[in-house]
Amino acid sequence: MNLIAATILAPLAAALLILLLRRIPLALALSGATVGLLASLGLLADTVAGVSNEIQLPGLPELPLSLVATPLTALLSGLVAVIGGLVVVYAIGYMKRDDEKVRFFATMLLFVAAMQTLVLAGDWILLLAAWELIGLASYLLIGFWYRRPEVKSAATRAFLYTRSADLGLYVAVFILIADAGSSNITTTLNTGGGAATAAGLLLLVAAMGKSAQTPLHDWLQRAMAGPTPVSALLHSATLVAAGAILLIRTAPMLPDEVLLVIGIVGGITTLVTGLIALGERDLKRTLAASTSSQYGLMLVAVGAGVPLAALLHLLAHAFIKSSLFLGAGVFQHSRDSTAFSELHGAGRDRPWIFFGFALAALALTGIPPLSGFFSKDAIIAAALASSYAPLFTSLVLASTLLTGAYMARSLRILWQGNTRHHNIAGLTWMGAGLAGLVILAAILGAAFPAIETIFSDPLPGNNVAVMLGLVAAGVGLTLGWFVPAQRLLGPLRPWSQRGFAIAGGFNTWVVRPALAIARGCERLERALYDEVLALRQLGLNVARGCERLERALYDGALALGRLGLSLGQAVRLGDERGIDGLIFSLVRGMIHLGSRARRLQSGLIHRELAITVVVTALIFATLLIPLLAF
Amino acid sequence: MTPELFPALITGAALFGIGIYGALSQTNLVMLLMGVELILAGAMVNLVAFWHHLHPDTPAGQMFVLIVMTVMAVEMAVGFGVAIARFRAIGSVEMEEAAELKG
Repeated sequence: MNLIAATILAPLAAALLILLLRRIPLALALSGATVGLLASLGLLADTVAGVSNEIQLPGLPELPLSLVATPLTALLSGLVAVIGGLVVVYAIGYMKRDDEKVRFFATMLLFVAAMQTLVLAGDWILLLAAWELIGLASYLLIGFWYRRPEVKSAATRAFLYTRSADLGLYVAVFILIADAGSSNITTTLNTGGGAATAAGLLLLVAAMGKSAQTPLHDWLQRAMAGPTPVSALLHSATLVAAGAILLIRTAPMLPDEVLLVIGIVGGITTLVTGLIALGERDLKRTLAASTSSQYGLMLVAVGAGVPLAALLHLLAHAFIKSSLFLGAGVFQHSRDSTAFSELHGAGRDRPWIFFGFALAALALTGIPPLSGFFSKDAIIAAALASSYAPLFTSLVLASTLLTGAYMARSLRILWQGNTRHHNIAGLTWMGAGLAGLVILAAILGAAFPAIETIFSDPLPGNNVAVMLGLVAAGVGLTLGWFVPAQRLLGPLRPWSQRGFAIAGGFNTWVVRPALAIARGCERLERALYDEVLALRQLGLNVARGCERLERALYDGALALGRLGLSLGQAVRLGDERGIDGLIFSLVRGMIHLGSRARRLQSGLIHRELAITVVVTALIFATLLIPLLAF
Repeated sequence: MTPELFPALITGAALFGIGIYGALSQTNLVMLLMGVELILAGAMVNLVAFWHHLHPDTPAGQMFVLIVMTVMAVEMAVGFGVAIARFRAIGSVEMEEAAELKG
């Protein structure tokens, strides 16, 4: 059995089985995720060993669908499978008290399967389909608790943001296929010139939507309304990662101007969302803003021309951020809230969970020997080596400092305060998932040299970069731990709390265009409606003419009928008065005669005898008269 | 015309007339039947007289009178049967009271 197929079909089959059977969702989810994980790791091993795996499927004419396992896609597939599996383990504990496990796990596995398809896709059409599927799955998962009022709007918002940015991907894919004459991604990467620039910018738009880059960063924080395992999956390996993955995969094609734009967008995002994270009052929202910020760093790395650094940071960040979210989920269950005001001292309740959370936080900040250190170091080195070193380096360092500050702030709030211990259902499962991810987040750095050799693309090493990164991280951590966020932010505070809604944020960038489209549609519809109305008027006139004709016909028929009726009446009258009268009078005469004749029959013999005699005498006389006459 | 014809005719006519009178004037069924007998008797006398006058040598035709007499006897039997039945039922044979016999 092909490993690619198993990687995608195992979670998909598990999702379908869960939906069909509607029972034992936990076992099915766990086995589906495990099989997918094993297949994906086998795929990775194959690819490292040089065995190529590929599936060709019949698609559009001359544009076959294909799934390929290159080092990049196999690595990403492994990432998705590992994080998906561990998050499912965690979710078994997290969802212990929830009644809708069937829907939850089915959608989670659908999400994983769609993401596997996306990363393994070898052609643009399959990638588009998977892109849509992860959008759908994320919509379903963010809106999982759809009965809560703010959840619906958050899910719709996330969907609208990513959907409107997806337009960029569609146009870009059309441009690429039209230019290269093939939908194969590797083939289209040879595109150059204007087509590459246009497609690159449009791909950037799509990536900005999915990876929540400024100014489209708002939806990610609101998506925190979904269950925490969803956030962990969303932020680390799936939906949000899709944007960065797209840019990393297409990086060889992108011309310099586009790279600069990508770098600038990423730099601005990493700064802006870092400030937002620092000013947040909610743990999960802080983590969400931090996600945008870290993806901004990856975009800077892509913009600096070192996509491998972006990939490494994507891997490290995936494990770190899912660990952070899973830890936050435990705190959420323990305090029934994720607001910082409720979380004071939550870390003291469960020191082991806090230890894992803190380890991940330090890894994100970039403290050696944790994985984040190596990837962030690679990004700083890439920024230093790029042609726009001053700009990129300062942005990246500022972001590193901010990362330290907001993570230290979160740790401080979680640690300082009173303990309030109460039991949480399913803590074992949650702890298991979290432990797996934290361990990976901590030691993943050891695997980076191996990855570098696989890609045979040495990273720019630089001691200055290491020093700068460490100093920035240290300063950030110190500031965050000791100085309140309000003081740190200073005049930027109101901006941060408004989410740096540039030029109206959501309203300007999504709502207004959407409304304009809607209004245009309405106008079109109104015009059509008028047309229809005119048509209806015409129809009415015709109908009225027909009605008049019909009425005339009807009147004619009525008159004819009336004539026939009166004729009938006359005939009937003739019948009654003439024939009937005649017959009746005959009958009456007969009756009369009969009664007369009856009177003769008196029963009195004398009278009858007398009559007989008289009549006989008369007859006799009548007979005699002629005799006498002659 | 033989001289014996007239007395016979006159006798027949007298019998007939008495019979008519009897039949018309009497109300008793028995008397009425006797009137009818007389009418028939008058008719038979007439028949015999004319026969004898026309065919004095062939008396065979006069056998008719015997048949008529037989019929008369039968008629009387029926008539008296009716009279007896009526008398038994009503106690009278007055014909003026027997209008219901018309059926």
